[in-house]
Amino acid sequence: MKKRLLIVDDSSVMRRTIEKNLQEYDLEIIGQASNGVEAIDIVKDEMPDVVTLDITMPEMDGIACLEEIMKIHPETKVMIITALSDKLTGLTALDKGARGFMFKPVNSDDLAKAFDKLLKRNG
Amino acid sequence: MDNRKEEFESTCNLFINSISNYFKHLTEIDSDMKVPYLKESQGLILKDFTGMIGISGGRKGFVYISANKDMFADLINMFIGIEDPADEDILDMAGEISNVVAGNVRANLGANFMISVPTVFKGMPEELEIPEDVLVYVIPISWKGHEAFVVIGLD
Repeated sequence: MKKRLLIVDDSSVMRRTIEKNLQEYDLEIIGQASNGVEAIDIVKDEMPDVVTLDITMPEMDGIACLEEIMKIHPETKVMIITALSDKLTGLTALDKGARGFMFKPVNSDDLAKAFDKLLKRNG
Repeated sequence: MDNRKEEFESTCNLFINSISNYFKHLTEIDSDMKVPYLKESQGLILKDFTGMIGISGGRKGFVYISANKDMFADLINMFIGIEDPADEDILDMAGEISNVVAGNVRANLGANFMISVPTVFKGMPEELEIPEDVLVYVIPISWKGHEAFVVIGLD
């Protein structure tokens, strides 16, 4: 059964880049959101299995959004994809329940490696 | 003043590395940096489309990347295969590059180097608050023949 994916990033080009690069995976893209508030609405309605989540976004940032997702549906596998490439940001995301993090810029190889690991590890 | 200038130039080198890495990692095509310079006069140096990030926390200021449509369109075509993107996508691309270039500097400067969400604009913005008392460093770059400016203003 296909895993259901939500893509969250305030950049439309970035969302479509992630979508294009994950086409080969057994994933159904159930929605895209440009900020944390939109993402939470979709999570409540759709309960995605996997979420790619940016951090620097308007309305609600990715860390606050991650905390909400973990309250609503703690089994969600959240992959943080952020430009904030300091260790503290990555460790904070893991501490709050993310299953992995990637620092932008991410190319197709980076996404493939991360998703191979994420989907294999989590079944 | 010399120490301040040295520290500033050291920070600017982080941005140079960040922009170089962006193009190399995502496009496998190197960008060329021209000789950077300190901007003495008032006013902004702008191409047609610009993505700007505000900087707060331990340092205050801004960084922006400005280029003509062709450069951003070329990147969008490489990433998602759209050959003639709308201005909305061009502005989005300008914002995303500026976000990544500024965010990557945190690898060296730490989480106290805080960045805003991007402000994007076409041409000259009607209103834009630029902090005074900042040193402004201009880095002209070239990628695939497209010319652009990375401009850094820091206290």
